[in-house]
Amino acid sequence: MSKRLHWIIFGLFSLIPGLSQAQEDPVPRDSTGFYEFLKSQREVPGLSYRYIFSEKGITLAYRSDSLFSLSKTDSGYVSKPFADFSWIDELQQQLVVDSLMYQIQLELYSQPKSIEVAQEYLSDLIGKGDYLVKVQEDLPDVDLVSLAAKMPYLPVQKFKLKFMSDYRLLAVTLIIVFFFIASAAMIISMLVMKANKIKREALQDEYEGIIIEPLTTLLFEKGVKDIMAMDEAEIHSFFPKNLLVKELYQHVLIDRIIGLNKKMKGEFKEKLKALYKKLELDKVSIKSLHHRKWDRVTMGLVQINEMDLIEALPEVKKFTNSSNFHIRSRAVSALLNLSEHVDFKALRDQTYPLSLWQQMNYLRIIRFVGLHKDLNFETLLDSKNQSIRVFAIKLVRILGRVDMIDRLISYEETASDEEKIEILETYATVGAHMESRFINVCLRSSNPSVAAAAAKAAAVIGDADSEEILLDLLQSETDFRRKRSFLRSLYKLNKEKFEMVTSGDSSSDLLEIRNHILDPMLQDV
Amino acid sequence: MKKILIIEDDKLISSLVQFRLKKEGYETHLVCDGNEGILAIDSYLPDMIITDVMMPFRSGIEIIHHARQSQPNTPIIVLSSLGEEEEVVLEAFNLGVSDFIPKPFNPNELAIRVKRILK
Repeated sequence: MSKRLHWIIFGLFSLIPGLSQAQEDPVPRDSTGFYEFLKSQREVPGLSYRYIFSEKGITLAYRSDSLFSLSKTDSGYVSKPFADFSWIDELQQQLVVDSLMYQIQLELYSQPKSIEVAQEYLSDLIGKGDYLVKVQEDLPDVDLVSLAAKMPYLPVQKFKLKFMSDYRLLAVTLIIVFFFIASAAMIISMLVMKANKIKREALQDEYEGIIIEPLTTLLFEKGVKDIMAMDEAEIHSFFPKNLLVKELYQHVLIDRIIGLNKKMKGEFKEKLKALYKKLELDKVSIKSLHHRKWDRVTMGLVQINEMDLIEALPEVKKFTNSSNFHIRSRAVSALLNLSEHVDFKALRDQTYPLSLWQQMNYLRIIRFVGLHKDLNFETLLDSKNQSIRVFAIKLVRILGRVDMIDRLISYEETASDEEKIEILETYATVGAHMESRFINVCLRSSNPSVAAAAAKAAAVIGDADSEEILLDLLQSETDFRRKRSFLRSLYKLNKEKFEMVTSGDSSSDLLEIRNHILDPMLQDV
Repeated sequence: MKKILIIEDDKLISSLVQFRLKKEGYETHLVCDGNEGILAIDSYLPDMIITDVMMPFRSGIEIIHHARQSQPNTPIIVLSSLGEEEEVVLEAFNLGVSDFIPKPFNPNELAIRVKRILK
């Protein structure tokens, strides 16, 4: 039973594909089969064989033959022991050729044994698992090494399977790989961009260096008319044709000319403007208005403004209501600055709210152009954009345009609260005493900011009705700040009434405000 | 020949000023930052200094300080876009500059002022 089990186990672990041979004894019992089996095994531990020859036919040559290494025995000769059974055929072939009689003597651990003992010994070895039967496989005729190279390496295959089946490991690996690829791509692109930038800056420096001399010479040696009269050849003698077509060179020229234009005055400004047109840089500026990048468009608008390119104004107008803050700001600035009769229509029709920065910027331009041009900004009050209307009211105040007061009066009825506050401040600033009626109406406004602004204006241009309204409001007002505002106005309008309200059994709030107002140290607090 | 040191970081402006002053027959030397300016004052020993105020490394005011210590009698003209800033103008004049020309300026006007001061 145990022997059978050994064979079963042997069969299970056998690498022989196909039917298991474990059910039968693999050692043939017939002598021919047994020798064939031994030949197929080549060597079996402990088992060897010798050739035994009779004396007859053994020549001297045989006796000295190293292959058989014959030794003399009582009955004849015996060869040396051979352990490799695969030689049997080869050795026998030689003996047959030499017509020698021989016998094969099997030996077990150098002791002559019969074939049956050898069979039992081998069966026992196999049975105990001390010997694994070698199987003759049908090996292909090609090189085994090259075949092995094509075979996937099993541990790698196993790892691949394990790796692909573990989705978390796979995901992490993919993320890491993606990270490395992205990092490498970013580094490479940064290096390329940096290299391009360095190259561009070097080229820019070079161009800046080479334009100094021709610009200096032209500005001192030529008049405006001379510059305008220069032909192409002459222009190219100062600024080479091959460079003038280059975009970077054009930009360096534009920057330098505009930079000089800002720092120089008098005839030099005119020369620079003439040169700008002569070099056709105005076309470059106008062309950049159609650039897809907003910063280039803005740059073009600034260039048009700086170099007084009036012919570009129709194009500039198209950008006054651009959705881009910088573009529309620069476009409106250029239009206000360059238009022959300061064009406020574009600003009026702007749909975007005006920022304080824009208001300050436009005010600076309007003030500058107002020195030598008429400013008819009345149209701004017709704007549908409240911030533009508020800006218009501020302009009346800041520019001191008393002639616009009538227009503001007609506008009072439709004005929003924010505009009313600006109008009140404007009336107070320009001293529009005839407008106390509007102030009195606003004093009773339900909007506390409007009422406070009206109180402030009333302090400057209020009348007797304003005093009465202020007294009335003080009786019903509960908010400390507004009370202070009303009292301050009343104090400036009529000190007697102020004394009357704040003296005697006045509330603590009124007394506190009174002390504050009357204290000269706290006048601006 | 009178020597004029021009300290200005805008190469184009300094080149224009140099060109104009050379036409008037002055010898000029250009430097484009505050450090170089201070070194040039001691090595070039100019008869006049024309300097900007806003410059790399050292400001024009520092240059005037240095010039006043090492060469108290050398006239200085300040050429600056900070001309509208009263504080800068006052400080420059307190340090004893001969003239203050605000940018934008006219190189011809500068040449006349230089001529008048060096006369």
